[in-house]
Amino acid sequence: MKSIKNLGLCLTSAAALGMAASAASAAEFDGTITLGAAVSLTGKYSTNGGHTKNGYDLAVERVNSMGGVEVGDKTYRIEVKYYDDESTPARGAQLAERLIKQDGVKYVLGPYSSGMTKAMAPVTEKYEVPMVEANGASRSLFTQGYEYLFAVLSTSEQYLASAVDLRAELAEKEGEKPSDMTVGGAFENDPFSQDIRAGVLADAEGYGMEMVIDDKLPPEINDMSSTLIKAKAKNPDLFVVSGHSKGAALAIRQMADMQVNVPMLAMTHCDAAQIIQKFGSDAEYTLCASQWAPSLSYSDDYLGKASEFAADFEAEYDYAPPYQAAESAAAVLVYVDAFERAGSLEPKAVRDALAETDLMTFYGPVRFDETGKNVAKPMVLYQVQDGEYVVVAPTKWAAADVRYPIPPWSERK
Amino acid sequence: MSEATQTTGAAVKTRKSMGYLAILIVSVIAPLLFPAYQTQMAFLWIMVVLALTWDILGGQMGYNSFGNILFFGVGMYVTAVLQVGLFTDVTAYNAAKGGEVLDPTLGEYLLGLGVGLGIAAIAATACAAVFGFGMLGLRGHYFAIGTLGLGIAAGEIAAGWDYIGAGSGMVPPRFPGETGAREEFFYYLSFALAIVTFFALKRIYAGRFGLAINAIRDDEDKAEAMGIHTTRYKAVGWCIAAFFLGIAGGIVGNIVGFIAPRDVAFAGVTYGVWMVLMAILGGKGTLWGPVIGAAVFHITQELFWTYLLGWQRVALGLLIVVIVVFFPQGILGFLREKFPERFGYKVQPKEAGGSADPAEGGAR
Repeated sequence: MKSIKNLGLCLTSAAALGMAASAASAAEFDGTITLGAAVSLTGKYSTNGGHTKNGYDLAVERVNSMGGVEVGDKTYRIEVKYYDDESTPARGAQLAERLIKQDGVKYVLGPYSSGMTKAMAPVTEKYEVPMVEANGASRSLFTQGYEYLFAVLSTSEQYLASAVDLRAELAEKEGEKPSDMTVGGAFENDPFSQDIRAGVLADAEGYGMEMVIDDKLPPEINDMSSTLIKAKAKNPDLFVVSGHSKGAALAIRQMADMQVNVPMLAMTHCDAAQIIQKFGSDAEYTLCASQWAPSLSYSDDYLGKASEFAADFEAEYDYAPPYQAAESAAAVLVYVDAFERAGSLEPKAVRDALAETDLMTFYGPVRFDETGKNVAKPMVLYQVQDGEYVVVAPTKWAAADVRYPIPPWSERK
Repeated sequence: MSEATQTTGAAVKTRKSMGYLAILIVSVIAPLLFPAYQTQMAFLWIMVVLALTWDILGGQMGYNSFGNILFFGVGMYVTAVLQVGLFTDVTAYNAAKGGEVLDPTLGEYLLGLGVGLGIAAIAATACAAVFGFGMLGLRGHYFAIGTLGLGIAAGEIAAGWDYIGAGSGMVPPRFPGETGAREEFFYYLSFALAIVTFFALKRIYAGRFGLAINAIRDDEDKAEAMGIHTTRYKAVGWCIAAFFLGIAGGIVGNIVGFIAPRDVAFAGVTYGVWMVLMAILGGKGTLWGPVIGAAVFHITQELFWTYLLGWQRVALGLLIVVIVVFFPQGILGFLREKFPERFGYKVQPKEAGGSADPAEGGAR
C-alpha cells in the first residue's frame, strides 16, 4: 500500500514538474544515502509522528524524482530507514543506537517532540553522527554544547511570544497599561510545553503582567475542566494552552462546552490538531503559534513555493500540511544541501557543511547558530478567521488584522 | 543413600557447573563479538533482574505485586540526582529552559555512579520497608490492587517536582569515556547485577527464608500458626526485590540517557507489566523460570520491533494471549509437566497415568 502511494507520488510530482520520469530512473544513481529516523508511529505522539514521516517522505520522493543528490561527481538517491519509537524516550535512545550501530546509518533525521530528541541527541553526539531535527524545540536541547545537532525550527520560547506582545499592544491601543493585563496558562508536563511556559512567564514578566493561572496538564490529557473553571473565575486577559495536538483539541472542545469566555486565546498545535475541521465555528478567533504558514512567500527549487508544497502535500495525503510536516520536509532539504556542498559523504564533512548552512527553503530561511538552532526564521501567529488560518502577526507577514476581543459564547452562533 | 545415587548427584553437579560456565563464557564474549548489540544484550540482563525480583513475591510468595516499578523508578532518580548533585546544583541542571552542562571526568563519573547506585539501592529498600509494613497486611487481590497505585502515584509526584526536572525529565551526565565504551561498560555492569541477583536469590530460596515464603504462598494462615511472623517475612522479601530493582533502575537511567517520569522511570505499562509477563512466561515460582522468560520475551520483542513495524504491540499482545492460554504454567512449568524426570521428580509407572500433576506427587 505504501509503495503504491510512493509510486503515485513519484508520478504526480514528475508530471507536475514537467520532467521526464525516465530521466530519474534508478539506473542513473550511483548509490543510496540512507537517513535514519525513529518517529512516533504509535503512542501519544502518533498524530504528529505521522505528520513528521509524511513530511520526510514527500521531500525524499521529490528530491529523488528530480535527479537525487549530487555529491562530488556522483549522484545518489536518498531513502529513510524508519523505526517506531512508540512515543517513549526509553525506546528513542535505543533506536538511535540501533540505527547507527546495527544499520550503519551515518545521518539521522530527528524524531517528533523535544523529549524524544532529548533522548536521542546524546547518542548521535557520542557517535558523531549528525542529526538534523525538525520537531524538538525545547531550549534545553541547545544548552548542552551538542555539535552534531541541528534544528530547522524556532525554539519554544518564541512560540507564544508574539501572542503576549499582541496582548500588550492591544492593551495600549485601548488605553490600558500592559502591566494591568493578566495571563492564564495551561501547559502539558513535557519538555516542549514546559519550555513554552518558561517563555510565556519571562515575556509576561517583561511586561509586568500577572500570571493568574499556571497549571500543568498530564501527558494523557483528557480533561482540563479544573483549569477552565479557574479561567472562568479569574477572567485572564490572555489564556494560553500548550499541550501538543491533544491539548489543543481538548481546550477548544471544553471551552465551548463550558462556555469559558476569554478575550484572547492563544495555543500551539492548532493546525496539527485540525481544530477547524473538527470543531468548526468553535475554533474561531483562536490564535495559533506556527513555525510556518502556506501563505508565506518563501520558496525553493525542490518543493516550490510554500503554497505549492501545501497543495502537493494535500494531494498526496488528503489533508492540509501542518507546520510539523513542512519543517520535517525542510530538514531533508537541509541535508541535501549539506551533502552537495560537502562534496563528500563523510559524517564530519557533512556536519561541517551543515554548520555552514545558509539556505532558503519553502519553509523559510535556515541558518544555524553555534548551538545548532535555526536563527534565521521567525515564528508566525495565525488566527482562525471564518474557517481559515490567517496570519495576523508579525506585521511583516500579516494578511489581516487580529479579531479582538473574542465575543462571549452567548453572542456566538 | 546408595552409592549409585551419589554418583548421579555428582554428575548432575558437574553438569550444572558446566552449564553455568558455558553461560558465563558466552555472556562475557558475546558483547565483544557483536558490539553493535551491546545495549540490547544489556537490556536482556536487566530484564532478567526485573523478572527475578518480581518472582520473589509473585512466584515464591504468591503475592502479585504491580508496584515493583516504584523501586525501579526511585533507584533511577536517586542515582541520577546523586550523579549530578555531587558536582553541581540539581535544580539549575534540570531547568526547563535549558540547564547547566556537566562534563565529569571518568573518575568523577564513576564516583557519582557508584555512590548513586549504592544510595539508590538503600533508598529503594527503605521505600519497600515503609510500604511493605504498611501494605503487606493486605492479602491476595487486595495487596495486588493496593500496589497498582504506587507506581502511578510516584510517577505523578516525579512529574510535578521541579527539582528533578518535573515533566521535562532529567538527563544523566554524559559518559566520559571513548565512543562505544559506555555500552560495553553498562553491559558488564548489567551482567554483573543479574549474576549477583541470581545467586543471591538461589542462596535465599535454598534456606529457611525460602521455605518460609513458600509456606506463606501455600497457606498463609497455617504458616502463621506455625509461628512464622508472616508480615515481617513478606516485607523483607519485598525489600530484597527493591534492593536489586533500585540498582537496575539506576543502570537503566544511564543506558537510556533520558529519564522521563512516566515513560522511563515509573513506566508501569512497559517495564512494570513486562516484569510480570516475563516471570509468568518462564514459569513463576522457579529460579530459572524468570530467567528463561526474560530471555524469550526480550528476544521476541526485539524481533517484533524490527520486523513488524507498526504492528509490534499487536503481535506482543497476541503473544501474551497465546502464552496464557497454552502455557499457563510458563515454559518451565510446561517442560516440567512433559518431562518430570528431568526435574528430579520420580514418576511411578503405574501412577503416571493417574496423577495429573506430577509436581503433586513428586519430591520437592
